[in-house]
Amino acid sequence: MPGRKVLMDFEVTADSHTLAAYRARGGYEALAKALSTMQPREVTQEIVDSGLQGRGGAAFPAGRKWQGIDPDDGQPHYLIANADEGEPGTFKDRWVLEYNPHALLESMLVSAYALGVRHCFVYIRGEYDMPWRRLDAAVEEAYAAGLFGENILDSGFSCDLFVFRGAGAYVCGEASSLLGSIEGTRAYPRNRPPRMTVRGLYQAPTVVNNVETLSTIAWIIRNGAAAFREIGTEKSPGTRLISVSGHIRKPGVYEVELGYSWARFLHEDCGGLLCNKALKAVIPGGISSQVLTGKDAKVLTAGEVEGLTLDHEKLRSAGSSLGSGGMIVIAEGTCMVRLLQIMLRFYHHESCGQCTPCREGTGWMHRVIDRIVAGEGRPEDIDTLYYVARFNDGTTICGLGDAAGYAATAMLDNFRDEFEYFIEHKRSKHGGNLECQGSS
Amino acid sequence: MKHLIPEFERLKARLPPGHDATLLVPCLRRIQEDRGYIENSDIDGLVEYLGVPRIQIEEVLSFYGMLRRAPIGRWHLQVCRNVSCSMRGAERLLGQLTDKLGIGPGETTPDGRFTLSTVECLGSCGTAPVVMVNEAYHENLSVADIDALIERLD
Amino acid sequence: MPGIFINGEPVDTGEHRTVLQVALANGFYVPHFCWHPELSIVGNCRVCLVEQEGRGVGIACNMPVYEGLSIQTDSEPVRVQRKAMLEFILLNHPVDCGICDKAGECTLQDYHYTYNGETARSHDPKLRSTKFFPLSERIILDNERCILCSRCVRFTREISKSNVLGMEQRGDSMLVRPVEDRTLDDDPYSDNVIDICPVGALLSCSFQYQARVWYLEPTPSVCPGCARGCTVNLWHRKPEWRLNALDRRENTRILRVTPLENPRVNGPWICNKGRDLGALIDRPRADRALLKGRRVSTKEAIDAARELILEAKSAVALVSSWGSNEELRAFRNALGDTFTCFVKSDSEPAENEVVEDDLLIRADKNPNTRGAQSLFGTDAPKFAEDTDLILIWGEGVDFGSLPRGVTVLFLGYWLLPENGHAEVFIPISVQTERRGHYTNFEGVVSAFEPCQPRPDGVIDAETLFPLLAAPPGSPA
Repeated sequence: MPGRKVLMDFEVTADSHTLAAYRARGGYEALAKALSTMQPREVTQEIVDSGLQGRGGAAFPAGRKWQGIDPDDGQPHYLIANADEGEPGTFKDRWVLEYNPHALLESMLVSAYALGVRHCFVYIRGEYDMPWRRLDAAVEEAYAAGLFGENILDSGFSCDLFVFRGAGAYVCGEASSLLGSIEGTRAYPRNRPPRMTVRGLYQAPTVVNNVETLSTIAWIIRNGAAAFREIGTEKSPGTRLISVSGHIRKPGVYEVELGYSWARFLHEDCGGLLCNKALKAVIPGGISSQVLTGKDAKVLTAGEVEGLTLDHEKLRSAGSSLGSGGMIVIAEGTCMVRLLQIMLRFYHHESCGQCTPCREGTGWMHRVIDRIVAGEGRPEDIDTLYYVARFNDGTTICGLGDAAGYAATAMLDNFRDEFEYFIEHKRSKHGGNLECQGSS
Repeated sequence: MKHLIPEFERLKARLPPGHDATLLVPCLRRIQEDRGYIENSDIDGLVEYLGVPRIQIEEVLSFYGMLRRAPIGRWHLQVCRNVSCSMRGAERLLGQLTDKLGIGPGETTPDGRFTLSTVECLGSCGTAPVVMVNEAYHENLSVADIDALIERLD
Repeated sequence: MPGIFINGEPVDTGEHRTVLQVALANGFYVPHFCWHPELSIVGNCRVCLVEQEGRGVGIACNMPVYEGLSIQTDSEPVRVQRKAMLEFILLNHPVDCGICDKAGECTLQDYHYTYNGETARSHDPKLRSTKFFPLSERIILDNERCILCSRCVRFTREISKSNVLGMEQRGDSMLVRPVEDRTLDDDPYSDNVIDICPVGALLSCSFQYQARVWYLEPTPSVCPGCARGCTVNLWHRKPEWRLNALDRRENTRILRVTPLENPRVNGPWICNKGRDLGALIDRPRADRALLKGRRVSTKEAIDAARELILEAKSAVALVSSWGSNEELRAFRNALGDTFTCFVKSDSEPAENEVVEDDLLIRADKNPNTRGAQSLFGTDAPKFAEDTDLILIWGEGVDFGSLPRGVTVLFLGYWLLPENGHAEVFIPISVQTERRGHYTNFEGVVSAFEPCQPRPDGVIDAETLFPLLAAPPGSPA
């Protein structure tokens, strides 16, 4: 087993997602503790001390983000759980919503208390039906039990929660664009400055945290920052929910203690590769990790994976990151050109169209790769892809354009020969294979 | 749309006051759930109910992939074709559906039974490939499974 | 007011909050498409790049200024990235400048030659989109040329508040589109989107294919459409580009009207009525004086008018609220003691016209009511029992409403039936044939210049009034 647990620390049964089951395993004790024994700023301090990093992709320290808000400044503040999980290869928040929704709700109550928030939102992606049903049922249970609404647990603290269902736009996973969606407009990412903790939802200070990040809060308050720091590594405390998919025997969501051996995780915990193939590459953190961040789409080759551990520092030094924890495992014999084609089609499809480099660049790269796959590639296409990728890096309002560029750059850097082969021979070096060929 | 207003009012109770436009996407989703698509009269109704300009509603409608302004088939088959699903057979599933139904993505069978679409990642990568049938995910599908599924849906 | 450095020079930021504003105010040009001083900041074109010392290249329109900030507007990293942004913008732009009305004053064209200038790297076909999409009776949209800066959308949202335009679809399929149940005809300020469009995506139907802009020049003028008195530019052929193939009228026609930016009166905007000033001026002109409906020379008409004025026992003048301050003064000096003077409204709101709003349009549809009333008072016109002569200066008087039997002396512009009903009719020059000033409803005085020749047989009112005051038989 890949280490200690924070969010998957119970056996999933037919009713383990209910309020009763959650209470039986110590649920809502953190809320009672915070409301009766802690000042809001003490809660924030505890999160700062825990070293908890954002789990959406950027790995920004959660406590530092919270410190951007003054709970006593007299303005309304908002807290939003980002459950717009749309990053290809990522389905971990879905697990929390379906199997441990009260961990999120309790954590949001504690966080709302710390941040002086009266109204919270969960922004859940539109396609998620079962996760929404489970979450919605949990919210109703919590309201019925007096855990939301006026004067919660007789503490004088009041808080409402609105579950906002998206309607099909990947870009909403970018925290600032999700604000537009909640405000009833097109979901355009917003320019910084101002930071969202200064002017966010309805122009008021706002914290947007990923579901996994937020859901960890209750555990930290219940067990203390010191206990949290004992898990994981010094610089990456805690655990990560890793979604594993692709050419792997046992795909699914795993809770992994940070610092765990990568090779052991893949080959033992996840059962190794399909069809007894050798590992070709791993996309470690969602194809772009999180719309906000940088080099996450960097593909790791098989050689790089050996000897790595699962934590942010190690991956960063390998030029990649844990991103959203969406790990896609790619076996030998897979056509990387066609894989990149799918990625670039995705970014093109999801570009919101607001700013120039991403709007034009994602389409440009998509058309070039489509042409290569159609056997009409030109030798200069590789340079063109590099060029477009280079000027999508850091030139856009949000990270979607960057991510598209990183995907292209990473694939070209590591598998350039496949691209050259495709252009020269007008066919794939690997027969265009995406699936694992052979017996499983 | 008018008969849904009591429901919308209940939603409003959990929102901070003065931000009715927040209900725009939730209302559109609920209307679509009710009728299958969003009609001009619904837009007019929301202009009045939420006090937002009509252009804002039209802009929103064409931004979000799930919202539609025309009816589709009884069963909406949405085949994920992103990275993980493609690595587990999504292209073969899509090929099978196209052959079997005689329509391409974006089309509806003449009997109005099926509409076929392709979508990007549905967050079901660990149980790939996935086809979303109306609201429900059907996961870990093989070509044989998809044949059986089509038979069941009438 | 923090001090910052631009290209090494210290500059004072004044009231400005962003680097782009400070740079432009201090003479450091930073190219930009989506930013407009009157509209919200969206930062979507990504062209207004500057390098911030220690922090790399970023967009200037959304970069706050702070003490000691040091900016480079044209460093190597800025040039490289800016060039790439321009290449991205041109990727799906048709570059059909040869048939585009905007050519010659197109920001994209200018920037391409200034900051890029290279041929395209892409050989792939450009995306096709809608051309000649009618947004109203007045404006057509070319979606292929559109660079999606959203200025027009923001204008209808933030300035005219008509909320007619929006963005549909997303990514590179995104389109500017009007709301489904209305058109831009509902927006009395719609034509401003043509001016603020940085490319040739929004075009005026009345100006389309009329002239290449480099053959034209503007004459500063004042819109007489209402008491706001917006300053405008009247565009007509440059004298050196007049064509022998065209007659005088065509060669001097006003081809378009654009706002002449004026922070004290209209900012950078005007309403659509002002755009149609050319058509207002282009009506058939009266160019011969009449005596009892019979064509006479101006000299004869003036002499006849002198007789009427001399013989009148009780003379009333209805003074024009379209007269310039100079003309009004000339009237008072020459004839103010001879006539009982009232200021009349030459023009009333037309059917379907916006009467008044919060932006520019005023209910008083005359440009110089305030200037006229400062000389002649605010009383409504009234006639004494013994009134036997009425001088009517300009439009707006129904002859049928005048007391029966009075003699009418009419000074007008247009070829109209009532000219012949006056005892004496003398044609006078219109605004585009002379220079002068109007005082708007807030007391702001604005100047207009002539751009069309005064037809033979037409006299300036300012010249005419002293002549009328002279005894019959004097030189004219």
